[in-house]
Amino acid sequence: MEFIVISALNGLVYGLLLFMVSAGLTLIFGMMGIVNFAHASFYMLGAYLSFTIARISNFWLALLIAPLIVMAAGMFIERFMLRRVHGFGHSQQLLLTFGIAFVFEELVKLFWGNFPVAYRPPPLLSGPAFSLFGTNFPSYRVFVAAVAIVLLGLLYLLLQKTRIGIIVRASVQRPGMVSALGHNVPLVFLGVFGVGAWMAGLAGAVGGALLTTSPTMSGEMSVIAFVVVVVGGLGSLLGAFIASLLIGLLTSFSVGFQVSLADVAQLFGYGEQARQIGGLLTLEISSMSASLPALLMLVVLLTRPAGLMGDRN
Amino acid sequence: MMRIGLLASIVALLLGAPLVLSGHVVGVLTTALIAVLFAMAFNLLSGRAGMLSFGHAAYFAIGGFAVIHAMQAVEKGLLWLPTPLLPLVGGVAGLIGGLCAGYFATLRSGVYFSMVTLALAELLHAIAPNLGSIFGGEVGLTTMRMPWTSFDYGNEVHVYYTVVAWVVLCIGLLYAYNQTLFGRLTVGVREAERRVSFLGYNLHHTKIIVFGVSAMFSGIAGGLLAFTTESINYSILGMGMSASVVLHTFVGGSGVFFGPAVGAFVFALFGSLVSDMTKNWLLYQGILFVGIMMFMGDGLAMLWLRIVNEFKERNWSALKLRALLLPPGLLVAAGVVTLLELTSRILDQQYAAIVSRTKAWPPVSLYGFNWNPTALATWLVPILAIGAGAGLVFLAISRAGREAAPRAALAGEHAR
Repeated sequence: MEFIVISALNGLVYGLLLFMVSAGLTLIFGMMGIVNFAHASFYMLGAYLSFTIARISNFWLALLIAPLIVMAAGMFIERFMLRRVHGFGHSQQLLLTFGIAFVFEELVKLFWGNFPVAYRPPPLLSGPAFSLFGTNFPSYRVFVAAVAIVLLGLLYLLLQKTRIGIIVRASVQRPGMVSALGHNVPLVFLGVFGVGAWMAGLAGAVGGALLTTSPTMSGEMSVIAFVVVVVGGLGSLLGAFIASLLIGLLTSFSVGFQVSLADVAQLFGYGEQARQIGGLLTLEISSMSASLPALLMLVVLLTRPAGLMGDRN
Repeated sequence: MMRIGLLASIVALLLGAPLVLSGHVVGVLTTALIAVLFAMAFNLLSGRAGMLSFGHAAYFAIGGFAVIHAMQAVEKGLLWLPTPLLPLVGGVAGLIGGLCAGYFATLRSGVYFSMVTLALAELLHAIAPNLGSIFGGEVGLTTMRMPWTSFDYGNEVHVYYTVVAWVVLCIGLLYAYNQTLFGRLTVGVREAERRVSFLGYNLHHTKIIVFGVSAMFSGIAGGLLAFTTESINYSILGMGMSASVVLHTFVGGSGVFFGPAVGAFVFALFGSLVSDMTKNWLLYQGILFVGIMMFMGDGLAMLWLRIVNEFKERNWSALKLRALLLPPGLLVAAGVVTLLELTSRILDQQYAAIVSRTKAWPPVSLYGFNWNPTALATWLVPILAIGAGAGLVFLAISRAGREAAPRAALAGEHAR
């Protein structure tokens, strides 16, 4: 029981954090049709910038400023780099974002060094929030979840209840038609790209102190965010939300499972033979937890390529 | 005819290189040639067939691991195989791995294809450290090359000649592949997928075979690397290798047969040359890649072909523009490099320690000069260089545009 509740809470927090990153990614994909390899770099940039700002001033100011800087960087990239190669097709844009992600990683190594930095939650949030089954649940995790839920609510209100939201949603579905109706679609693109970058930056600013802040964080987040977007259905926010929670829970539960394929074979009476073969068969799920998201993505892509909530192939 | 002459002289240069170059440079050339083969193999899939793979390191690594295992078996006497033929094992392993992975990956196309290749590679990368018997865990695997006839494989020159032979052979095979009917079909997959299937070809099977062939040559390249270094580690499966082959291929230009080779060769030499001078060499590679993607999307080889063409057509105005753009472009590059190098030197851990100890900012040395980090001029000089260079580039392009515009309009008149 304890394992289930604690794992569920941890998975939920991680899933909400994932959603903050992948929401922007899925919106950008739905709109411009580009898989933004640099999106996870915004997450990394947010973490490193807020780490530095928090050291100079304080954590709360960092949370405010760092995502705004990331947003400015994102808008610059959209306006002056991606739009420039727009005419050359999607693969050129894909390659460009790939290159930008590469440059960001190297820039982070230049400025902050090729090792993790000690980005910690502020003293106010480093204590336990409540205790369950004798285990203290850190209040910083509660804070991360709260930030994500507030952001989710704001995003929902913005997209569903405002006129801007209608235009954005329409641009995701039919950019050509929205443009024909006289809306400035490039401006909408720029805005969505900026907001997406801002959210990823905020996710980095809060998530960097929860997970690790290192130059490899963008690469790891990149793969997981792609998984979320693909599993949820490209362009679908609801799908991204469900997939984020799903992957959050999957990752946190799998870490605690000491089960291998050989144990499954044991149920059918072939345990000994499976153990003798070794290799993949004796690999425990807990040691495979890093590869589970990639596995999930493969299964979804091959069985239901449109994703859970997607309507297009 | 000229092209054959050029190729023959390149091969002759490669063969003659060890006679004049030092052992270290021969080693650099060996890794450069392996990168060339890997990029050419990658381009068969990504350039010719238009299927962009972001996980090609997997097949490169599979080839490498297979060769290491084969070498260990030869060493123990379990397997009889002449040493120079070892990379063949990598090719076979790459082919098998590529056919299996290709079956799944090619079920989807476009962005989804790229994602599947990425996921497959990540999957392998995440599982590999846990499969110690195959991938050697965190430490990796090591082995020894066995001597073969008069080649004792004790020095890098013997290895180099083996690598040259394999790379030349494989590139020749890739060229021959492109000339066959199936080679044309490969381009058809990129240009008009639906038409290929309407013509009665099995699209999925075609894609699997292309994937397999590309993985096979990648496997040979990986095998050559394992053969050269006599060791391999699971980190080769990581994103870094997949990223570098993408960089090499598209910097060189995926639209020209030898484009990826040019990119890989230039980057490998650039890497070995610049990595001695600065630790930020990967950053410069990335910036170069982004710049090429933005301003000349079809790569260095295409640029070269264009310049040659302009010479042939005596298109002096275009050549003049290029010549005019070169100095300000170099000025911008110099400014960017200076700025980044200064920043990197100041943010260095040793320097930061000195600053916190002495509470002063000592001058940093760069290009043999001492730069005072607290002086405004230190930062103003590179920034002004970037600004001036960018301004001149802009000026040259807009002037060329103004000169060309009336002429283009006139040409339009004549055409009518």
